[in-house]
Amino acid sequence: MNGGKESHMTRKRPLLLALVLIVAALVAVAIAQGAGIGTAGLGSGPSGYVGKGGKMVGSGHGFGEVYKAPSSTLSHALFSAKLIPAPANARNISLAALGRSTKKVNYGLALKCWTNNVCKTGTGGKLTVAYVEGFGENVFRQMSKMEFILQALTYPKIGKIIYMSAHSNLNQAIADFKSVIAQKVSAIVTYPDFGDAMIPVFQQATKAGIPVSTYAWGYVTGPGKNYLTVVGENTCKLGKAFARVDNTQVGSGDIAFMGGFPGNPLSASWQKCEQNALKPSIHVIANDPTNWDPSKVQGIVAGILAKYPQLKGLSYEDSAFMAQGGYAAYKAAGIPYQGVFTYRTDETALGCLANKLKNRKLKIYYYTSGNPQIRVALTADMMKLNHDAKIPPTIVFPIKLQQQSKRNMCIKGYPQQASASSLIPLKLLHRMYP
Amino acid sequence: MATGALAIVAAIEAPSAFGNTSWSYVLPYATVLAIAALGQMLVVMHGGIDLSTPGVIALGGNLIAGICGGSDHRLWLAIPACLGAGVLVGLTNGIFVGIIGLNPLIVTLAVGQIVLAWSSHYSQVAVTSHPEVPTALSSWATSKPLGVSAVFWAGLGITIVVALVLRYSTIGRHFQAVGANPRAAWIAGLRVRTHVVLAYTAAGALYAIAAVLLAGVSISIDPAFGSSYLLAPIAAVVIAGAALSGGLASATSTWVAALALTFLTQMLLIVGLSAAMQFVVFGAAILGGMVVSGDRIASLLGRWMRPARPVPRAAAGGHES
Repeated sequence: MNGGKESHMTRKRPLLLALVLIVAALVAVAIAQGAGIGTAGLGSGPSGYVGKGGKMVGSGHGFGEVYKAPSSTLSHALFSAKLIPAPANARNISLAALGRSTKKVNYGLALKCWTNNVCKTGTGGKLTVAYVEGFGENVFRQMSKMEFILQALTYPKIGKIIYMSAHSNLNQAIADFKSVIAQKVSAIVTYPDFGDAMIPVFQQATKAGIPVSTYAWGYVTGPGKNYLTVVGENTCKLGKAFARVDNTQVGSGDIAFMGGFPGNPLSASWQKCEQNALKPSIHVIANDPTNWDPSKVQGIVAGILAKYPQLKGLSYEDSAFMAQGGYAAYKAAGIPYQGVFTYRTDETALGCLANKLKNRKLKIYYYTSGNPQIRVALTADMMKLNHDAKIPPTIVFPIKLQQQSKRNMCIKGYPQQASASSLIPLKLLHRMYP
Repeated sequence: MATGALAIVAAIEAPSAFGNTSWSYVLPYATVLAIAALGQMLVVMHGGIDLSTPGVIALGGNLIAGICGGSDHRLWLAIPACLGAGVLVGLTNGIFVGIIGLNPLIVTLAVGQIVLAWSSHYSQVAVTSHPEVPTALSSWATSKPLGVSAVFWAGLGITIVVALVLRYSTIGRHFQAVGANPRAAWIAGLRVRTHVVLAYTAAGALYAIAAVLLAGVSISIDPAFGSSYLLAPIAAVVIAGAALSGGLASATSTWVAALALTFLTQMLLIVGLSAAMQFVVFGAAILGGMVVSGDRIASLLGRWMRPARPVPRAAAGGHES
């Protein structure tokens, strides 16, 4: 009896093995599609978008930098050549940083540095620069990483580039920071995902003579004292800009806010200022944290629509998530995807979706994602490091929202989740995200 | 009982949670959670636990978008590849836990991390540029045969099949016997290790099915795809009355628990509680659900209602002749 069972099982084994092999082959075929990123045949080119160049904006030089940038580069990154910081030293640093987009770099090396977290630039330079962040696992951060690398490659004095992400772990973030201080890096740029919890390590680096700059308004208390400088936009003014759009385009009715992690200072800042600047006839009926998680966005938008199907407007940071989860919620609810939407970022996805939907009642206003701000942060560090330049504690870019119907953020050839105002050359972007 | 109480609270506090717009979100997402929870249930029945769920769902969703590249033509390859990936991950977990005898918590966490890393790499090189799910899949997922989400019908079918196989087939009964008492099952001649491997493999396949359904309702794949399915399926299984130490479990109860959890999340949003209060209420509801789940209430009522046992005469001092 048992022998019969065994022989039955023995007959089944080849079948089982064949099944497993077929499954393995199917998965291998699928995964092989994206096996790796090649660096061959990339050549070299400008470190940032220069377009047709245009006239140079700015004048003068100092601290090893030239305070000029092509107007096309400024228009691409900031929407207009006029939207550079007003104070003279902040303006000069910004122009010097963005002007470096004309300098030639090796794209193959840039891609190699991007795929490996530590790389040598081959210049023999004695400086080591580090980009250390608390969370680096989304497209925005990965693009910032590439912008940082491209900027670093324009400095022959930089011989080594280090990148670290703490994968949303505060203890790891602090350990990473201490690690680069122990390695005696020359300069640090960071996005401080854990806010003021990073102050002790910022102070430790500053005390060790290592300039630390943050970008994209990664605000930690005490810029100029606890660390060198913070680059970005004034988030309160961003909220007021959102309110101006709502006051004119919505007029009256219900709108909703969405933010990132509960209590994060970035969302709290623009939301408070927008709320205070809204007409009394406009009611904010919801203010929900999304953790900047697109799958959560769908649930939250669905919840808002369930109670307020006549929602007239929505303000949020990430436009790409509203092209994904937000759109999916509207579609599932059978409600037309329309209203007045104001966003802090300009990912290609939402622009392309708007173009596809062709709904005139869908009014999208956006600011820039601000990836190139990391270039300004690194240049500020370098000016301090090499020439002890006086760096202002804040380098603040003026805000002017753009309207999708007038300035299309869907750029042909750009990855869907890439910011339309990034300065990464398209050739390189295509290799990063084939 | 817990679901009924939840429905009453919702009817009073958030009547719009019962509207069409709300159900259009709740039903498909509850179905995805239910399918993932069914997989987890098979593992929990054998005293195991599976933390590779987010990894499999993330990889599955990325394979769907990556292989198809926004077009419907390769969906025939993408869906089997997704299911194959789930089976492979489950099989790997099963071999490490069932054959080699390693701790399931550590094994599935480690395997899940490796799969997540692969998924993240694959997403970067093949999905970020074209994260859209093929139109054929997303249109099907958002369609409503008989006025109810197609995803719900698909999930219902899968749940019925799992429940029938577990209850009426020989392999299902063997499966339950091994889960209820592995030692007795071994003495009875059942292959305990094979059943453990089978449990993880079937769970992997169910996670992959959940990934296909989730991809359909999400329309596009994002970098955090599947990340919310680490603890939610375990919560659904436990609320449904299964013991983490192993034993019998009910597919129907698991489904209802998944529906209750998704509905609760939606209801809290509609009520408009602050984020902190949402966490408090959600946590309290899970605790409450666990307390009233299984046969705890029934056995408590039974104890109360049972008439006092008469004292045996012998114990009272007399001798029965």
